Amino acid sequence: MPDEGLPEGIVTRTELAELAGLFDQFEFAFDPFSLSAREAESRFDDLTRALFDNKVALAFPGVDYALFYCRVRFACRIYLRKNSPS
Amino acid sequence: MKACLSFSDILEVGQPRITEMERIGNSFPNGDSAEACTAFTHQVGVVEGTVMHTYSIAATLARKADDINEVAEVWKRMSQFCQSALEVLLRLKDKYLFCGTPQLYDLVLDYKLAADKRMRGAIEEAQCRTKDFPKELLPELS
Repeated sequence: MPDEGLPEGIVTRTELAELAGLFDQFEFAFDPFSLSAREAESRFDDLTRALFDNKVALAFPGVDYALFYCRVRFACRIYLRKNSPS
Repeated sequence: MKACLSFSDILEVGQPRITEMERIGNSFPNGDSAEACTAFTHQVGVVEGTVMHTYSIAATLARKADDINEVAEVWKRMSQFCQSALEVLLRLKDKYLFCGTPQLYDLVLDYKLAADKRMRGAIEEAQCRTKDFPKELLPELS
């Protein structure tokens, strides 16, 4: 695993991997209107919201959901780039 | 073989299909005849395939892009490509009302909106990266 040994976050690497997998399924879907793409986006939104409510909102009151969501999306892009089969 | 195509090259390949649809559409005085509708329906199918294929290439490029601004640019170009098809279809959809034209218009509009949404997402990501964000919230990636 390329990120082994690097610091974990409040959102764990395992959680980010799951989010990145969902992000991949809807953001880069060849058919953005497919059921699988729409389901992946819905699950991504639900999971991001749950992580924010359960882990972020109270501990980091200065971080709003929009910023968290945006940074998670960006982190997913980086994760996918670094973990894509070449 | 190591020749590469840019997204501009891909769009240049697709644009003549839209131009040809317009040319065929304008070559008949109306769309009521079987000959006109058959000819135009064929062009509708060609443009439908072109838009869907171009979108899938845009998605592939957006996934591989190193720079978020490059991602936004890919989706912006995809949206503009859809817009160019929509402008032609808008002029012809009433003339070829029963030749698959309104359905193609709706489909291309959906693809344009999907491209716009992804462009906006990329722009927002570029902007939110400049805002303060606790480093410990997300795992560090190599």
